[in-house]
Amino acid sequence: MPIKSINGCIGCEECIKSCPTDVLRLNPDSKKAEILYPEDCQICHLCRMYCPVDAIVITPDKSIPVIVSWG
Amino acid sequence: MKTKHRKISRRKFITLTGGAAGFAAMGGFAMQVDWALNNPEINAETLENNRITTDVLVVGSGMAGLFAAVKAHDAGAQVLMVSKGRLGSSGQTPFAKGIFAYDKDNEALSIDEFVAKVSRSALGTNNKAYTRQLAEHSLARVNELREWGFFESSLYNKSFSKPIEERNIPVHERVTITHLVKEDDRIIGVAGFSIDEQKVLFYEAKSVILCTGAGGFKPNGFPICDLTHDGTVMAYNIGAKVTGKEWNDGHPAKSENPAACYDGWGDMFEQKPSTTRIEIRHDLGVDMNYMAYINGGAAQMGPPGRGNQSNGVSGGPYRPEEFTSQGGPGGHSQDGEEIQGPPPGDSDRKRPLRKEGKVAPPGMGGSVVGGSTAGMSIHKAEGLVPINDKCESTIPGLYAAGDALGSYMAGGIYTQIGSSLSGSAVQGAIAGETAANYSKTVKSKNISTKKLKSIEEDILAPLKREAGYSPAWVTQTLQSIMIPNFVLYIKKENLMKAALAYVEELRDHHVPHLRASNLHELRLAHETKNMVISAEMKLRASLMRTESRCSHFRLDYPEVDNENWQAWINIFKGEDGSMTLEKQPFNTWASTTKSSEIEANS
Amino acid sequence: MKTQNYIIKLSVLIFSFLIVPLLLYFTGNFQRRSTLMETLSITTILGFSLLLSQFFTSRLNIGLVKKIRMVNVLAIHRFIGYFFIAVILLHPFFIIVPKFFDNGVSPSDAFVKLITTFSTTGIILGIIGYTLMLLLMVTAYFRFKMHLNYKTWRRLHGYSALLFVIAATWHVIDMGRHSNTLFSTYYVLMVVIGVFYLLKTYVTNTGKHENKT
Ligand SMILES: Cc1cc2nc3c(=O)[nH]c(=O)nc-3n(C[C@H](O)[C@H](O)[C@H](O)COP(=O)(O)OP(=O)(O)OC[C@H]3O[C@@H](n4cnc5c(N)ncnc54)[C@H](O)[C@@H]3O)c2cc1C
Ligand code: SF4
Ligand code: SF4
Repeated sequence: MPIKSINGCIGCEECIKSCPTDVLRLNPDSKKAEILYPEDCQICHLCRMYCPVDAIVITPDKSIPVIVSWG
Repeated sequence: MKTKHRKISRRKFITLTGGAAGFAAMGGFAMQVDWALNNPEINAETLENNRITTDVLVVGSGMAGLFAAVKAHDAGAQVLMVSKGRLGSSGQTPFAKGIFAYDKDNEALSIDEFVAKVSRSALGTNNKAYTRQLAEHSLARVNELREWGFFESSLYNKSFSKPIEERNIPVHERVTITHLVKEDDRIIGVAGFSIDEQKVLFYEAKSVILCTGAGGFKPNGFPICDLTHDGTVMAYNIGAKVTGKEWNDGHPAKSENPAACYDGWGDMFEQKPSTTRIEIRHDLGVDMNYMAYINGGAAQMGPPGRGNQSNGVSGGPYRPEEFTSQGGPGGHSQDGEEIQGPPPGDSDRKRPLRKEGKVAPPGMGGSVVGGSTAGMSIHKAEGLVPINDKCESTIPGLYAAGDALGSYMAGGIYTQIGSSLSGSAVQGAIAGETAANYSKTVKSKNISTKKLKSIEEDILAPLKREAGYSPAWVTQTLQSIMIPNFVLYIKKENLMKAALAYVEELRDHHVPHLRASNLHELRLAHETKNMVISAEMKLRASLMRTESRCSHFRLDYPEVDNENWQAWINIFKGEDGSMTLEKQPFNTWASTTKSSEIEANS
Repeated sequence: MKTQNYIIKLSVLIFSFLIVPLLLYFTGNFQRRSTLMETLSITTILGFSLLLSQFFTSRLNIGLVKKIRMVNVLAIHRFIGYFFIAVILLHPFFIIVPKFFDNGVSPSDAFVKLITTFSTTGIILGIIGYTLMLLLMVTAYFRFKMHLNYKTWRRLHGYSALLFVIAATWHVIDMGRHSNTLFSTYYVLMVVIGVFYLLKTYVTNTGKHENKT
């Protein structure tokens, strides 16, 4: 998983707004950020950097093999 | 999540279609229908639509969009900014850390000498007017940025918000624009949808500035997965000329976790930005791709420490002699240096590959892979064709700036370090002012109800489809067609023709069946559509350019051909709606009327 | 005999409120972050668990009071009280400490965001808890100046502590970066036992009192 977990979220939505690829959304019940579309995460860390409480953890791996020009 | 989705759709499918289909679903047939079945989470019929009116509409909120909005406002126009993402946190702008400022008091080169040197490195592919403009205006833009606090944080939203809030410029974020609206041969507005609210939005504007950035095939290892050349494709769809599709950005990625953009750049994304000075190079074309191609892929290359010379590769992309210091003769034999050089037109200090020294290019242990920027050309080389140095496109009222404008500011290869970011600032400001002045000369126009209806249909179509292909699958298929080294980078006629056949298949039989079950997927569907068109453009332009120059390399035409190819390639929709290509000699301006002597490409 | 019991009691306390949370922390499947962030997290977690231990080191813990001298119990109670209340008081600031060491969001912006986001239950409970904690501290400090008789004061202290603990625990379970099921179960268990002790004393006391009138 690229974006892995969110813990200690205060629901400020900074990460949701800052994610260029719309991976995160606000959970309507808990009012916290949730990882809704992890397959579209480009591992850019903007969400993590914008989070005021450092709630987001991201790992460098992608869950599916990625297509590159040679390998 | 996947399983849940699947269960629901199966149940729904059975209830919807009754016993017979349900029976079929239980048989082997189930697999075929189930995966394709659309399961909309929202009802497309209840989507509201909204009309918003303004003088100047700025699409995009990166560096170019920022200056376009600010300068259009300062020139007296009513401005509205709309963006797919967040101000200063979408597109490529958030990741660029080096910004070029030409300060005549501190530079040895005059502006004339600077322009001449860029042209030399770019083998004539740059547009001198835009290169000059960059040098002339960059310092002023950088100073404004400094005032807004740009250099004080690694994150740009706050500093970008400052001038926008001071001017009360409304910003609509998370709105994806999908259509430009033209009537009586001029632009009258745009249309798109929000990914948060169920809303189709129509913006009526006297002029529109596309600051939509560049794009790619949602490649792995470069943070451009939100950019799919939307501006270019929308403009193409309403008849504008676009250019620059044959060039390639040749950024590599680490072979370990190649998709991890952040990790691939060390901690560069966490750095505050800084300025760069004149440093002209000939960087990040396809030299490395050529080397990997000739040597049989990274895996079979020499062990670390083995000199590059022993991997000796001859031929390959031509590099002008003055610029071989970083790249060695021929530009390939010392690629180890090259890759440790700066990112695209960027600050070299911050290049993490250099700092860490761990990542070696192919030939030195093979720990990098290619294609991390697949589908992206050189910054400023691709995009809408300008008809003058005021960022005006071939369609009245439509402007473009930054990575969305095919200004050829740097040429078909990366030349001045840090110029991509300041180029967007400079062009944004010029486009903003020009568009504001233009908007004073025209009356606003309503988008006709008929047009509203048909555009809305078009936008929502993927949501309404009962079944179809998922955007993710079409994207992956496109990636596997385009990204291999022997298709996109080391070009040959037969392989490009083969790839084109595949891409046409996607265009004709898959794009019309893209499905979306929610607004997130609706955005993906529209992006996928644009990527397929962009792939077609890339292949056709690359086929047409029967020479090699800068970042365009053809194995079957490896030499620079100055006799026939001192020209750019423009692409537009022909009379019959098919993709048409024409040559435009270097350093001439495009005409608004389509060239009579069209050099159609098969 | 006396010292032995004393040691056993204390060991139980140390085990339940230091060792257990540390064990839960290190065995839990949490993503490890920078040393700074880890240290701050551990301090905060221990701050909270030791705060919970307050139930067991107060006068209520008759067992302990009997076995060792009251003065000692109160000393522990007070020390833990002041020290870890300080930790808990500071924990909203701990959260933004890393912002001093990067180039992104400034510490002040982060803090303002933190205390002005009222959308989650967790934050609201946290703010309630924080206020109650301040109240507890102030009343403890000015206890003699308030001219309350001891019983009234004790009841006030006890009940507001109860309210505080419920709000705080809920806040921790809802918001806590490390609140997995095990941690939550542990907190709830400790609180339930603590509240049980507290109510046992108070209710039996009140009961007796009411019976007389
Ligand atoms: C990792 C990395 C490092 C870089 N380093 C440097 C560097 O050091 N120096 C340098 O000079 N350059 C660098 N660059 C290049 C530089 O970032 C870009 O050239 C520049 O930021 C482009 O700015 P722009 O405003 O033209 O486009 P972008 O910043 O790409 O902005 C495009 C905007 O358009 C919006 N948009 C796109 N499509 C739509 C749509 N359909 N509807 C609505 N909105 C839309 C996006 O949301 C975004 O806001 C780097 C790029 C990357 C990726
Ligand atoms: S790492 Fe980037 S793409 Fe992934 S969720 Fe965070 S902001 Fe979005
Ligand atoms: S930025 Fe952090 S605190 Fe705010 S919503 Fe996202 S994860 Fe939660």
